[in-house]
Amino acid sequence: MASPNNTLGYIVIDGTETQIRGAALITDAKGFPLDFTRTDPLRPDQLSRILYGEAFGKYAKEKLILESLLDAVETDPQLWICNDPDILSPLREKSRVKTVMLEESPHVPLDAKGHIETTADPGVFLIQANENGAPMRAEFPGGIRPDEIQQTAAILTEAAGTMDVLEPFVRLDKALSFLASGAR
Amino acid sequence: MGVRDFLARHITRRVNVYRVDDFSIEPPEVHKNMKRVETFSMRPSIPAEVSRPFDFGEFTEKVKRPAVNVKFSGKGIKAKNIRVKRYVKEDIKTHKYQLMRKPKTWTMLKQVQALPQERANILRYMKKKPELSGGGVILACYGPVVEGAVLKLALNKQRGTLLVWYKPGSRQLKARNVYLVRRLGLGEKPEWRWE
Repeated sequence: MASPNNTLGYIVIDGTETQIRGAALITDAKGFPLDFTRTDPLRPDQLSRILYGEAFGKYAKEKLILESLLDAVETDPQLWICNDPDILSPLREKSRVKTVMLEESPHVPLDAKGHIETTADPGVFLIQANENGAPMRAEFPGGIRPDEIQQTAAILTEAAGTMDVLEPFVRLDKALSFLASGAR
Repeated sequence: MGVRDFLARHITRRVNVYRVDDFSIEPPEVHKNMKRVETFSMRPSIPAEVSRPFDFGEFTEKVKRPAVNVKFSGKGIKAKNIRVKRYVKEDIKTHKYQLMRKPKTWTMLKQVQALPQERANILRYMKKKPELSGGGVILACYGPVVEGAVLKLALNKQRGTLLVWYKPGSRQLKARNVYLVRRLGLGEKPEWRWE
């Protein structure tokens, strides 16, 4: 049984060149929201995009949106989960909490629940967190220790017993789409 | 030609030659067609200290009584009926460009708590289909769902997913799968079963 402080944190930063916004959702072990923070949309003008050049997207995501969200979140979760490789390492550095990037994979189910399999990509593993379903593709920030990978897989496997670990991304996308539509 | 000259020319074949020293042609008079036009300098005799745009304010202040026929008025300057457009001093303003700042953050917990969780049908991933008590054909399987915390369940028929609303504040964590089952027999409707 998961302990009450078994919280997972989800961060999504979404948008286009003209409008970027982000949101962070902290859930309990069954996926119920405990904290939700979102940012106002960042609307850079043409001059800003020229001045920042190629670094614009990275700067906006890391320095402005991500830092704002992390500053606003009241309690750190035991694991931060993102779905954007651009913010994986910055999220780890700034939050100092275990961090992983999760995606669905088309891979056939692994042998058993909790099983971890390496892939051809460095820092990328397949984790079979639930009994029924495809394994998740888990990407870790560079320089991570092997024991931290094991700990993260254990957290995900435990959470998958009471919730769909990837499902909160669907709710975050819906929430951001709702906000982007102009409705409040 | 006189008689003497005539005879001298025919008899002696001589021709008298006279020297003329006195030409009485007066040189033409030359008149200058240039007019003197009085010019008035609009420039005050103020030493320039720095290079900057002309300051009309200083000009009016320092030349209190102009020595030439220049009229100052609120609308402009008239110099011998020639209208001079007023020079309006405009400082060159510099603007500090504000680079992008961190966006404001907001908490919207209640709105997000009202959103249902969505569970996909995992029946196709099940290696071994469970034998349900009471029999029937399993149409779909959704999970994990914490039965004790469920406020409401709804089937999204378009997507074939199960929407789950949980009670806020529930501490239940025992999760199970919920099956959509059709009993065998005429007129039997699909039903939900927890296993």
